[in-house]
Amino acid sequence: MTLFFLLLPPLLMFAASFVKTSRTRKLLPLSSFAVLVPVALLFRLPKPYALWGEYLVADDLNTYILLLSSVVGIGVTLALLTLDRHVKVSEKELYRFYRFFGLFWVGLSLSILANHMGIFWIGLEMATLSTVYMIKTNRSPAAHKEAWNYMIVGAIAISLVLFGIILIYAAYKPLLGEKAMLFDALLANSDRIPSPFLFELGFALTAVGIFVKMGFFPMNLWLAHIERAAFYPVAALFSGILESGVMAGFFRFSTIAAAIDHERLFLFVLVYTLLTLFIVSFLIFRAKDFMRLFSLSGVEHMALIALFWVSGGTFAALLHFGAHAFLKPALFLSTGVLESTGRYHFAGALRGYHGTRGKVFWFLAGLFMLAIVSIPPSPMFFSELYGFGAMIEQAKASDHLLAMLGAITLLLVLLSVIFYRFVAIYQSMKYEGAEEGKTVYISEVLALTIFAVGLAALLLPGTMAFLKGIG
Amino acid sequence: MIGYLATILLLLLLAPILLSFIKAVKMRLLYKRPVSLLQGYRDFSKLLRKESLVSEEASAVTRIAPFLVLSPLLLVLFYLPPIAKGAFYVSFVDAFTITGLLALSTFFLMLLGLDSAGSFGGMGSSREAFISALVEPAMILTIFSVSMMAGDLGVGQAGVNLAHHFPKEHMASYLFAAISFFILLIAENGRIPVDNPETHLELTMIHEAMILDISGPYLALIETAASVKFVIFASLFAGLFLPFGMDHAWPVAAAIFVVKLFAVALAVAILEVNTAKLRLFKVPNLLGIAIVFAFLSLITYYVLGA
Amino acid sequence: MVDFLIGLFLATLITALFTTRLYRLLFWYSLNSLTLGLLALTVGSRIGDTAMLVSGGITIALKALAIPYILKTLSQKFRLSRQTPPTIKTQYSIILVPAILVFTFYLAEPVTHMVQGNANYVAISISSLFLSLLLMIEHRNIAPKIVGFLSMENALFLLGTTATGGMPMLVELGIFFDLLMAIVVVNLLLYREEVES
Repeated sequence: MTLFFLLLPPLLMFAASFVKTSRTRKLLPLSSFAVLVPVALLFRLPKPYALWGEYLVADDLNTYILLLSSVVGIGVTLALLTLDRHVKVSEKELYRFYRFFGLFWVGLSLSILANHMGIFWIGLEMATLSTVYMIKTNRSPAAHKEAWNYMIVGAIAISLVLFGIILIYAAYKPLLGEKAMLFDALLANSDRIPSPFLFELGFALTAVGIFVKMGFFPMNLWLAHIERAAFYPVAALFSGILESGVMAGFFRFSTIAAAIDHERLFLFVLVYTLLTLFIVSFLIFRAKDFMRLFSLSGVEHMALIALFWVSGGTFAALLHFGAHAFLKPALFLSTGVLESTGRYHFAGALRGYHGTRGKVFWFLAGLFMLAIVSIPPSPMFFSELYGFGAMIEQAKASDHLLAMLGAITLLLVLLSVIFYRFVAIYQSMKYEGAEEGKTVYISEVLALTIFAVGLAALLLPGTMAFLKGIG
Repeated sequence: MIGYLATILLLLLLAPILLSFIKAVKMRLLYKRPVSLLQGYRDFSKLLRKESLVSEEASAVTRIAPFLVLSPLLLVLFYLPPIAKGAFYVSFVDAFTITGLLALSTFFLMLLGLDSAGSFGGMGSSREAFISALVEPAMILTIFSVSMMAGDLGVGQAGVNLAHHFPKEHMASYLFAAISFFILLIAENGRIPVDNPETHLELTMIHEAMILDISGPYLALIETAASVKFVIFASLFAGLFLPFGMDHAWPVAAAIFVVKLFAVALAVAILEVNTAKLRLFKVPNLLGIAIVFAFLSLITYYVLGA
Repeated sequence: MVDFLIGLFLATLITALFTTRLYRLLFWYSLNSLTLGLLALTVGSRIGDTAMLVSGGITIALKALAIPYILKTLSQKFRLSRQTPPTIKTQYSIILVPAILVFTFYLAEPVTHMVQGNANYVAISISSLFLSLLLMIEHRNIAPKIVGFLSMENALFLLGTTATGGMPMLVELGIFFDLLMAIVVVNLLLYREEVES
């Protein structure tokens, strides 16, 4: 029953996209608020709570992630109301967009709640395929090319994940039979695994698939180009929901891998994320437009989250994760306004707002812009403190203290490059360039306010205690 | 021993019929009135009766070469795998010998093409050299891989072993070897994707170009050589890759063997009707695929044992 | 029998790599899926697994018949180029393909002791995964890329069938559902392509 209510808003959206009146569209944001009810209910229920047998099981971790992505979903639905006023999009395409957004949301909800590797994969594939069309709603040739690109590379990444899942299943099947698909069974039996090598091969393939999907090392610019070519809500969905879903899978898989061989897992992820951050920080330094900038910074934060998680700082990872899930969609949604005078204008993007709405907008957008590089009141500041603390603990426990400390220092240097760039961009947005009038709609301000409230809620002691309880 | 000699005689007699059969099937599939299966014999007897003209420029090679084209092939006939269980066969001749004898025959054919100093002959010879140079490595790899599965390097012994113990556990590599060998069969006999034996189009012809100014009994010898070559390949394919039906009495086994030969000929005919001839410089690609499969067969056998 | 089918599977995939015409490519893909379906049927009837029999049947119906047919219709409807020359020259592929095979065969060697049943299948499915990747890389046109994606799906199915003795039914059905959705998305993407040009 709870499951039904969870899936109701996206399914409603899917159904409404077939009704060709503009009034139904206005109702969608309201109905999407309804998703908060079952999520809140899930928080109150005893964990783990079986939503659908042992296939979909809600525990603290995925309820939290589900809450984050539901809030993002609501925000994006709000912002979608005014999509056609910022960019040129035909009515028919907009309906298609809603249709695939609904499917996307369903897929991701399944994937986040899954306790079953197969269902996790199916949901992810469904979400990936439906995004392809959402990219395509933009009628530019670039979007067309990138949609194919996304289809092909996304399919490869997803296939790698499935390949790894099959190998993991094969590693556990002699022990567990059909149950070898369930995350909790895998975790509970990790010390009795018959063939760890097979599991590790499978985990490595899965992890590489997940990393490619999030734009890590070999495919750094992949997501950035796609998000540039697509409309801005797509980018918000990517960074807010899709990457959350993918990351949730990574949390699950890496927990099992950590139970089997923590040292090797940590080294693998450390090397991978260092490579990623090394390239991404310089790409950010050269970024010339908001979309690519934010998208690359999304890759950076995902790398940090993965690193924090495997180095034992689960609290830091989850806090960072939550902050990123609110901040990044907010920023992506605000690019719709920020870029209304031209795509490649950093200078003056935060100037020229009038009226209450405008003032609230630029205040929030500026705040988010600074919060994303962890200026103190931001939750990211705390999460990075905790995360690096956990990494240093990990370094102390390992045999290669100096090398690890060197790696952490390198990481900090790379982060400071990003920090410098973001502050410079903020200053250029605020203090340079000509003043040009920009229109802000109430729905966007509402969406940003929701994200700001969510961000503030992350800092509450109650939330912190809850997050500490998850790890 | 009688069976052995009878088999060789049978193969010799079947050789022209098989080529006529391919032609007949192709004509049938193209809605033409098919030629008689005995057309090969008719051509042979007609050519024997004709006068043999030799170019003024030609040296003694032209008079000797046709015999030397045919004789290595006739020798190979003696080394083929047996067609019935318990029959006499030569067990010690391996892939190198058979490939070498085939290459010897091809060598004299090329020499014959060059000897008359015609421009077509030289062109045909160079093309033949080009193709056979690519065929040989794949051929050796394939037969080796099969011998490996059979557990004996001798081709005749391999055929016997395969019939005795079919390589069920090595089906994958066996299949790859079969694919490779079939491509080689087509390439080496100048069938359609590689060469079209029925036209005399100067752009494409290979085999025909070499024998353009041979006539009379010499031509009969060369034509016989071509048909014997096909029958050698077909019976190698039948012996190595279709090793069943051998434990019956000799007549029954021989009948089954003949059916297998006709099946191979039918497959070639159907393939010929369905494909277009490749451009000459695409032929290496086809042979490359054969090499890939032969190599794949070897590594699948070695690494995976499948 | 299983060895034979698995050999045929790899052979059709390799032949598809060297194909330069779209319809031939679809034909080889269909043959590839057919051997896969027959493989699932054989393995399923040997170990008495109904789920695998069902998924083998669906594979034959969907991947060997429906999808090639749909792709052919789509390519006619949107006038896709029927000549799909690979960008990697054949002479390089001839070196590349055996290299990939040797590499993957040795890569999978340590795994072979850990999988129940015949472990060679893991090696073959990993190598067919790589070969499908090569199929996607070596073409610039969109249709062969889709075929490459589909044959990658086949490689995964092969692994699922042979290495684990059958995935749970739910997962198999989900994968088929996603495959259908992929075809729908491909159709929509192609549709837009025509409208624009």
